[in-house]
Amino acid sequence: MNIHTTPQRTPAETALIDAFSDRLSLLPGDGTVMLKRDDAIEAIKSGLPTRRIESWHYTDLRRLLASVPDFDPAAAAKAIAPIVEGSAVLPVLNGVSSTKLPTVDGVAVQRLSEKLTDGSAAPGLDPYGTDDAIGALNTAFVADGYFVDISDGTELDKPIELQNLQAGGQTHVRLGVRVGAGAKAVIVERQAGEGAALVSSVSQLLLGEGADVTWLIVQEQPDTATHLAQFKAHLGKNAKLTLFVMNAGGKLVRQEIVVKTTGEGADFTLRGINLLAGDTHTDVTMVLDHAVPHTASTEVIRNVVTGKARGIFQGRINVHQYAQKTNAKMACNTLLLSDDGEFSTKPELEIFADDVVCGHGATVTEIDHSHLFYLMARGIDEKTARGLLVKAFVAEVIEELDDEAIVEALEARLDGWFVAHG
Amino acid sequence: MPAVQDTIDRVRKIDVDQYKYGFQTEIAMDKAPKGLSEDIIRFISAKKDEPSWMLEWRLEAYRRWVTLDEPKWARVHYPKIDFQDLYYYAAPKSTPGPTSLSDVDPELLRVYEKLGIPLKEQEILAGVQKTDASELEEPSDNVYKSGRVAVDAVFDSVSVVTTFKKELAQAGVIFCSISEAIREHPELVKKYLGSVVPTSDNFYATLNSAVFTDGSFVFVPKGVRCPMELSTYFRMNEKNTGQFERTLIIAEEGAYVSYLEGCTAPQRDENQLHAAVVELIALDDAEIKYSTVQNWYPGDAEGKGGIYNFVTKRGDCRGHRSKISWTQVETGSAITWKYPSCILRGDDSSGEFYSIAVSNGYQQVDSGTKMIHLGKNTSSRIISKGIAAGLSQNTYRGQVSAHRKATNARNFTNCDSLLIGDQCGAHTVPYMEAKNATAKFEHEATTSKISEDQKFYVMQRGIPEEEAIALIVNGFVKDVIQQLPMEFAVEAQKLIGISLEGSVG
Repeated sequence: MNIHTTPQRTPAETALIDAFSDRLSLLPGDGTVMLKRDDAIEAIKSGLPTRRIESWHYTDLRRLLASVPDFDPAAAAKAIAPIVEGSAVLPVLNGVSSTKLPTVDGVAVQRLSEKLTDGSAAPGLDPYGTDDAIGALNTAFVADGYFVDISDGTELDKPIELQNLQAGGQTHVRLGVRVGAGAKAVIVERQAGEGAALVSSVSQLLLGEGADVTWLIVQEQPDTATHLAQFKAHLGKNAKLTLFVMNAGGKLVRQEIVVKTTGEGADFTLRGINLLAGDTHTDVTMVLDHAVPHTASTEVIRNVVTGKARGIFQGRINVHQYAQKTNAKMACNTLLLSDDGEFSTKPELEIFADDVVCGHGATVTEIDHSHLFYLMARGIDEKTARGLLVKAFVAEVIEELDDEAIVEALEARLDGWFVAHG
Repeated sequence: MPAVQDTIDRVRKIDVDQYKYGFQTEIAMDKAPKGLSEDIIRFISAKKDEPSWMLEWRLEAYRRWVTLDEPKWARVHYPKIDFQDLYYYAAPKSTPGPTSLSDVDPELLRVYEKLGIPLKEQEILAGVQKTDASELEEPSDNVYKSGRVAVDAVFDSVSVVTTFKKELAQAGVIFCSISEAIREHPELVKKYLGSVVPTSDNFYATLNSAVFTDGSFVFVPKGVRCPMELSTYFRMNEKNTGQFERTLIIAEEGAYVSYLEGCTAPQRDENQLHAAVVELIALDDAEIKYSTVQNWYPGDAEGKGGIYNFVTKRGDCRGHRSKISWTQVETGSAITWKYPSCILRGDDSSGEFYSIAVSNGYQQVDSGTKMIHLGKNTSSRIISKGIAAGLSQNTYRGQVSAHRKATNARNFTNCDSLLIGDQCGAHTVPYMEAKNATAKFEHEATTSKISEDQKFYVMQRGIPEEEAIALIVNGFVKDVIQQLPMEFAVEAQKLIGISLEGSVG
């Protein structure tokens, strides 16, 4: 139990610490940035999180991260077609941003390496909380990415697609987006590749007053990759954010979602689909802070677990003392389709204000036999019937997105996954 | 609803932070020196006239305990406890194993009378029947007589008296203090003690294993339905004394027992430590119902004093079709750290957890349950109602897990929190872990304040605000109150009313 132990450094911890000294001279950054990198590597030196750290209870990173690949300067990832035709694509290939960038009216794009070099990216490198291992890993090694500024009042008619693509080795990328007051945009974050890479990716989003953003995270790493990602957002007054997360790949995946409502009237919607097959370990952890009065949030997560997959959803809603009139609802539903699969969920409510309506629900079940019977009684064979029911279970979440092009694109990816794993 | 009216009347009479049971009694005590060491454990064991295997068991636990750290994961904050600054043994002097009530120090009997626990057997029938115990008709086998309760009274470190022993013995039920059981029934104790909560379980359970001084022992043999409710009443009296009781309840095949537990302590400025362990074992087709009304001193309005309640309670549904049900009403203690759990090992076994946790003032409650599904077709049900008022923090923390082989495991969890005032906090931390595709888990939780509509509706009928709130709160906790034995249900409703006093406005 709580017996004192002095842990030995794991091979992965040693590899990360060694890689840092090797890479140090190559990493961009002014004095402030480099000091933050030093702090971050110190955090890694004190050990990767274990299940004793509450927020990592189900993902013992120290044990699960058995080894870390070396940086591979020869790795060459290729850009891919955007999920919605006509999107402005900003690719990061093997951790390096592109010099040739598309021009979109009202949108300014900067390479993150430049912002690290001049130190203007430094404030965003701070960790949140004491258990921010992904933040630390990324801050220590991040070399590139993008910073996108969407000016006040800009309404984009086509999505911006940020691609983080890997072909092995290690990539550490940061994507920052500021959306000005009253601006409206759809942003797609693609996480994919072909190699057995270690990927860390941190996205930061700042929403100005009345901004309206739909952000899609589509994670389709190969089943050999380790994908550690974080999405952080601040919602200003009357800002609206719809975040859609789809995890359909990766060997060891942790997607953190850290959202704070900082302006009254802010509205946050999270819709998530986790399609888990093979022996993936996929963890989606959300921390949502209602910090001011009159804000609302709803979260719906749907999980499908097959094979030997292990899925986790942790969702914590914090309602601060002054955040009266908060309305927060969370649901996490899981279909467990195989006896070797498992799913753990921890939906938490931490409430310090009294005039609130907060609730959460969570279920774990197999396919409803009566539904299956209903379909099979109509002459549909079992495999097709099961497929229909599973698809209906997750598609419900996608259909809530009101952009038809996006709904179609996501449903196509869903079908692709079912063909490969159904 | 007379009970509600009663609550209101009592609330009216009482000022904030007036704890009814806060008196202390001057009784000559026999104490071990302060502090904890192997010598103290030998002293306790010798005092209790224990066999050597028991001493060895304690020492092994102690040696493990010194290597452990206090758990820090619960949402409770308190200054570090100095475990060397406590008395681990305190017993009223005049009790070398009393055999009848006449042997018991009259001062002690007065304490229990004052607490509303009349130990004189003729008064046990809630003051209705004034028949002498010996004149009561012989119980026919397996007939449960409601209204009669056998009581084991534990005063600081020792059990002072157990009532109705003879009658229970006729039915084959053993109900005595654990110290007596170690002496009289060593084979049973040896077989079951530590089999549900091993000495290595957690910091406080290990400490308890090393130093436990008394508690109750219940053994219901095969096929016997215990003829009356069994009850233990814990009283902490001495200053700076930790209470470490150990309760062991065994229901053999087809047996049934309902057990009640109540507790109070004097009002003191210092914090007192209470670290109990309760183990329940249900064999095939057996059923154990365990109810607690916890009313330790919660501290005063400034958060000074009060009991630190660190309790490990666990039931093992070892047999097929066995059932264990926990019902708790938690209104006392400065800090509550308590997770009565069920291990559903036998096929078709079921576990239940019904809880009301009321916190006011500076109280901190971190309580919940664990339902571990191991057998096939096991089911569990969790109903938790948390009410936070004043400056208190109220956390539900629960785990439901289905093992790979737990085919058709079924759980339903409902935890609702009610917030009264904007200075308190209500938290819900459920863990759900499914490793079997046929498991079916459902969890729902809500947090809200008393709805203005509800209050308006009640007040509009001429009921003042405070009574309206009492009425709504009693409605909120109804599902749990219904699970309590009748005598406790009335008591619990009153307690909730008193605990929330001063929270309105």
